[in-house]
Amino acid sequence: MTMGIAKSKAPADWPTLLKENSRAGGQQKNPARSPEKVVWQYRAGSSVRSAPILDGGILYVNSLNGIVHAIEVSTGTPKWQFQAPGQVHSTPSLYENRILFGCDDGKVYALDRNDGGKMWEAPTGAEVWASPVVLKGAVYFGSADGKVYAVDATSGRQKWVRELGGRVYSTIYATEQRLYVGCGDARVYSLDASSGATLWSTPTGNGIISSPAVIGDVVLIGSEDFFVYALDSRSGEVRWKYETGLGIASSPAVSSDLTFIGSKDGFLYALETQSGRLRWKTAVGDVVTASPVIGDGVVCIQAGGTFALEIATGNVVWRAAMAGTVQSVPVLAGDTIFLASLSGEVYALR
Amino acid sequence: MDRRTFVKSSCLGSASLLLHGLDPAMRAPDKAPPVPPSIELHGLPEHKASPLGMPGLFPGRVVELRDQNAIVRNRVSQPIVRRMLEDAMKELTGEKSAQAAWAKFVEPHDIVGIKINPSGAPACCSSPEILREIIASVQSVGVAARHVLIYDRYSFEMDIGSYQALLPPGVRVFGIQEAFAGGSGYEPNIYCEANFFGEWETRSYMASVVAHEVTKIINVPTMKDHSAAGVTGALKNLAYGTFNNVARTHRTPHSFTNPLIGMMCTVEPLRSKAVLHIMDGMRQVWHGGPLTQVQDFIDQPGILLVATDPVAMDTIELGHIEAKRREKGAPSLWKHDPNSITTNSNDFYHDATKNLFFRQPGHVAAAGKLGLGVADLKQIDHRKLST
Repeated sequence: MTMGIAKSKAPADWPTLLKENSRAGGQQKNPARSPEKVVWQYRAGSSVRSAPILDGGILYVNSLNGIVHAIEVSTGTPKWQFQAPGQVHSTPSLYENRILFGCDDGKVYALDRNDGGKMWEAPTGAEVWASPVVLKGAVYFGSADGKVYAVDATSGRQKWVRELGGRVYSTIYATEQRLYVGCGDARVYSLDASSGATLWSTPTGNGIISSPAVIGDVVLIGSEDFFVYALDSRSGEVRWKYETGLGIASSPAVSSDLTFIGSKDGFLYALETQSGRLRWKTAVGDVVTASPVIGDGVVCIQAGGTFALEIATGNVVWRAAMAGTVQSVPVLAGDTIFLASLSGEVYALR
Repeated sequence: MDRRTFVKSSCLGSASLLLHGLDPAMRAPDKAPPVPPSIELHGLPEHKASPLGMPGLFPGRVVELRDQNAIVRNRVSQPIVRRMLEDAMKELTGEKSAQAAWAKFVEPHDIVGIKINPSGAPACCSSPEILREIIASVQSVGVAARHVLIYDRYSFEMDIGSYQALLPPGVRVFGIQEAFAGGSGYEPNIYCEANFFGEWETRSYMASVVAHEVTKIINVPTMKDHSAAGVTGALKNLAYGTFNNVARTHRTPHSFTNPLIGMMCTVEPLRSKAVLHIMDGMRQVWHGGPLTQVQDFIDQPGILLVATDPVAMDTIELGHIEAKRREKGAPSLWKHDPNSITTNSNDFYHDATKNLFFRQPGHVAAAGKLGLGVADLKQIDHRKLST
């Protein structure tokens, strides 16, 4: 396991939201063909609103009823379960031997990933839906209390806290010096990673639930004001913005030249990262709130079903009429795809 | 009869409600509707009715504002809806300040539930911009943010609307149906019981948050056609958003939303706690409701209605939807044509002449006969304010 940063050590690992802190959303050799069979199906017992993660042959899934499921991917059976005191909307994140996640009881929990035992908890003033992000021994996350927290990844002890102007459901993008995050007050913030001081904030036209991605010196994020924004990472200046048909809750996945993001207007958009020019858009459902992931020549998204679209054209390569969900994201792991659904089913497809 | 409040409507009584609820001009369905079953209502024992309860302080009064700039290219203007709501509240109450107007309904010690309608999200749902103004208004009276609850039945629909992120910190935002620990979101002793189509679960239970937690409810319906009820307005938003297991009341082509919607609204403590209704008509679904995402059937008239009387409010809404359907060449909400019925939802969502059920807009007038408000247009004090 890498030390201090969520980065997959093996092609199949997927230790945090959209695979890695780079928020690149996959980009590995993955099956472009339609999966042919269900290898196993696991019932989580409650709706799944977050994305699964994968590491070391274990798939970690948080279900809304507060249960963290550690599932053996070879068999689809549980290795252990942990019952949190509240609902869980947060995508888990892995750090060394810990699994981290936020809870509606206002705390972030760290569990021993071997047995599910609680290692520490870090309190906030309201529910934590964002995924905790780990970088160099610090865990960063926002809370619905309107604050961003940094805690020690080993102990959970608070390093600093910074109040923003609205609820924070966006998952932080962390670099060594800077953090980037969207906020319910309609602003995108850049914070100093060591102190939480605001380096810049840029207004959009409505609240932000989307989580940012950074490529080069560009911060990419969607807003409920219908626009996708590309901001200068140093100044917050708007490089370009692209208008979709409705609000955006989806988070972008970025490749070298394209940014993929869903909109509530039902389309998945492929925008040129440098210019914001539309390369293509494809209707994938009535509403898209989930985030896309990038595979080998395809981009996958859950939107009332699971779709794989050809990156070059946006044409639908295959679709699976399962795992329609609000926020979940497929995990592309070698020749297997893992999906979690609004109805609480977890699938391994091959 | 035990300590429960117990009302039993006979088959004859319910059928009577159904018939009298229909618009006389349209009272000629091709085939007589089936007779509703008896419906038993079990309310909160020994609940003392509040004078603020429906039809509330101003029976028959509906204030309507329309501003075409309130929604532009599907975006709601925060400053314009702020002004619209302030003007509407002052007109409704006769008070000179918005704060004084709100003080007629809410006190600092209240726990205020704001019942939204996210079921058509994101295309047509209670606008976060209007909710922000309601929250600010309630807080202006002295209610703490933590005592403001934004709720509806399904949390996943609220997720689609992104309400959690778009509303100010401190207020609680949650879905009843998927509250923690499964079925704990409903009160087992408060329910409506009826067997409509032979379903195995014949009870619909009241949400616990309504029964026990909130002390006042501000109802924020949207302005929509409804495939089974005719319209979904103040009454439908309250009734079917407060009780569970309600989809069982309609099975193609029949719908027993009339009389159940009105009857549910009479159950205490729902009736007493619902003190104010603010209809979000920024968007208006004239076909395909309540869930459509098809923009062809969604207008953006920028309307806001405010009332304490849900029957009068829904009567006005009904007129708006009916007028829009007439303008668009769609059949009347009242028309029961067997040839219009389809079981193909795709047909329904894309063809305004099709429907899944015989709509029951008569549920509004039927609710009036239960004492929930005024359904006669001639008696409604409809105040249209210019902007």
